[in-house]
Amino acid sequence: MAPLEFKHSEALTIGVELELQLVNTSDFNLAPDADDLLRRAAGDWHAGELKPELTQSMIEINSGVHERYETLLAELRTTRDRLASHARQMNVAIAGGGTHPFQKWRDRKIYPTERFLTVSKKYGFLAKQFTVFGQHVHIGCASADDAIYLNHALIRYLPHFIALAASSPFYQGVDTAFDSSRLSIVNTFPLAGTMPFVADWRAFNQYFQTMYEFGIVKSMKDFYWDVRPKPEFGTVEIRVCDTPLTVDRAAQIAAYAQALSRWLWAERVDWVNPELYLVHSYNRFQAARHGLAGTLVDHATRTPIGIAEDIQHTLRELFPHAVDLASTNALEAVLAIARGEGNDAAWLRKTFAEKTTLPDVVREQAARWMQ
Amino acid sequence: MPDFLPTWPPVTNSFTLFGLLLLAGLIGGWIAARTRVLPSITGYIAIGFILGPGVLGLLNEEALRDTRIFADISLGLVVFELGRRLDLQWARHDRWLLPSGLAESLLSFCAMFALLRYFDIAPLEAAVAATVGVATAPAVVLLVAAELKAEGPVTRRALWHVALNNIIAMLGVTLLLPFIEVGDAGSAWSPTGRALWLVAGSFLLGYAAFWVARLLARFIGKSDAPQFILVVGMIVLTVGVAQMGRLSVLLALLVFGVAARNFDPNHRLIDIRFGHAARLFFVVLFVLTGATLRPEQFGPIAWIGLALVLVRLLGKAFALYLFAWPARISAQQAATLSLALTPMAGLAIGITQPIYDVAPDFGARLAAIVASGIAILHVIGPIATRYALVASGEGEQDARD
Repeated sequence: MAPLEFKHSEALTIGVELELQLVNTSDFNLAPDADDLLRRAAGDWHAGELKPELTQSMIEINSGVHERYETLLAELRTTRDRLASHARQMNVAIAGGGTHPFQKWRDRKIYPTERFLTVSKKYGFLAKQFTVFGQHVHIGCASADDAIYLNHALIRYLPHFIALAASSPFYQGVDTAFDSSRLSIVNTFPLAGTMPFVADWRAFNQYFQTMYEFGIVKSMKDFYWDVRPKPEFGTVEIRVCDTPLTVDRAAQIAAYAQALSRWLWAERVDWVNPELYLVHSYNRFQAARHGLAGTLVDHATRTPIGIAEDIQHTLRELFPHAVDLASTNALEAVLAIARGEGNDAAWLRKTFAEKTTLPDVVREQAARWMQ
Repeated sequence: MPDFLPTWPPVTNSFTLFGLLLLAGLIGGWIAARTRVLPSITGYIAIGFILGPGVLGLLNEEALRDTRIFADISLGLVVFELGRRLDLQWARHDRWLLPSGLAESLLSFCAMFALLRYFDIAPLEAAVAATVGVATAPAVVLLVAAELKAEGPVTRRALWHVALNNIIAMLGVTLLLPFIEVGDAGSAWSPTGRALWLVAGSFLLGYAAFWVARLLARFIGKSDAPQFILVVGMIVLTVGVAQMGRLSVLLALLVFGVAARNFDPNHRLIDIRFGHAARLFFVVLFVLTGATLRPEQFGPIAWIGLALVLVRLLGKAFALYLFAWPARISAQQAATLSLALTPMAGLAIGITQPIYDVAPDFGARLAAIVASGIAILHVIGPIATRYALVASGEGEQDARD
């Protein structure tokens, strides 16, 4: 096999993928209406892409490539309004959130494309259990080696993304005690985890070739890593976020990733070493379990620090970059979350406490997404 | 013979009958399921037909009357559930939904009316029969959908249309009531007064049931079990009160269901799925329905019935195709939707009850006109709905709940 080619893209451009839930409006369980929604929307689609996902109650929207947060936000809002209008005509609702709070995975139907049917055959029950909803953020990289550096450096900050986007406290009808229960479901796949600690793109290509020769992978798509290079797009893709409850928050998180990447490239930090990966699973668990209240271990200073506090420290470094990127509004919003406004998981738990049933929670979360 | 022993031959009662109907239905359903193309309902109906007066005569008229209460309860559950599917907001967002529902009812009415006139049926009788024919059997569509675990755009739309065409048929029959000559059973009250009482009273009863249920729900909270008991209790009570007040069970429970869906801003009444408990009543309902069939309905006169069934289907299909483009429904969806609406509610559901009350003779003539059509639809209706929901990709061929 020829070595992977890393396509050039404009550094610091951003784009997002959002997996969304389709729910019915009677008992607010998942509704298998992806096909009908895609058919109705096919005629009026301009920017980005609208795609089916693994099971029939999921759809995925891919934004276009953006240099600025504001234009990304505007595009996502337009997409949301259009989808919401189609959904209303179909008498279904669309919701954000990393999991559907009470659907039963055995009731899911695999979306019948060749790839999804292969995945279903390969992974058995894991495929249907994978009816979870994530946000992926792409950051454009000028070179392949820049991508490898960024990929490693971002590992340190993945708990931030997990905690900020967490929106899956409920799963299969119970409060999991996790802010992001979705992340544990991703873990069950054999090729989940992280990229190995490779020095540069050449070394990464060697690793990929070896895995290819083993017959374990056929393409980069087979790696379900928390963050991975995406050579076809020339990006690094952060994959740990739950789909937030609003497109606004999705755009804010993308803006945070953009400013963070700019800072990491500007600083060329000296702490990118294999120790990053020693603390990663622990930090990841803390963020998924406790959200912003979790504690991460900073491998460089060898000290624990609260995730909310660490986000605030980081934001101080990022604000000057946000001024250049015209994304200070977004970072202000991220700061507010870290300072006590709380993430979407907190909002979902509060809504459940008020409304007392999970169908009511879904009703509210759909209303929030569709605005 | 000692007096502590039972009499000989033993006398059956409602319990033995209910149990036997269930077990007979179970066997019929099992046989139907083995075919992989027939819905269980067809099995229930077939076994009822065989046991009924038409064939073996094991279920006689008296036995049928004894078990009528179970059928009424199951109809109450079905109609309430159907009302809950009538989301008025949907008609606001999809402005072609209501017009296509009205057109589907109107065109199938016109088609059936024209056919009956062609066969020299008197205008009034033809109009009433065609109005009755507008309604799709709610129990059949709901049950087949549940059995196939069908969900999606066609199923959702089908249930909306069923709810609407039942309301239209019910109101239509009531509107025609004043034109029907009062027979022996008619009271001193004018037919207009009776129609008004029927519609207004049933609406009020349904809304009152909703209001009381909502009030009680406020105290019991949103747990599944108490809400289940609350809703079933209110439904059975409403069935009873409607019968006591000579109101329409159908209309009252539809109103109850529609109100529960649309006029409960705080969502105090949760969406209860009746599940296995309701299944018990449905089995009995369809076995009894089967027992009302007579072999002669499938004889030489059946071709009028068959023609009625066909023009009805064509009327519905034409209307749905007509609105498919503006309503953004695909041609395949329109086709499966039309087919899913095939089962005809007929006489069992009580649409015609007020006619029997006012003019029994007219009711009997009406029954004769539509009976063979209904009989035929009892056979092909559930199969058509099953086929439609599987073909739409929304029902699972091998799903057995």
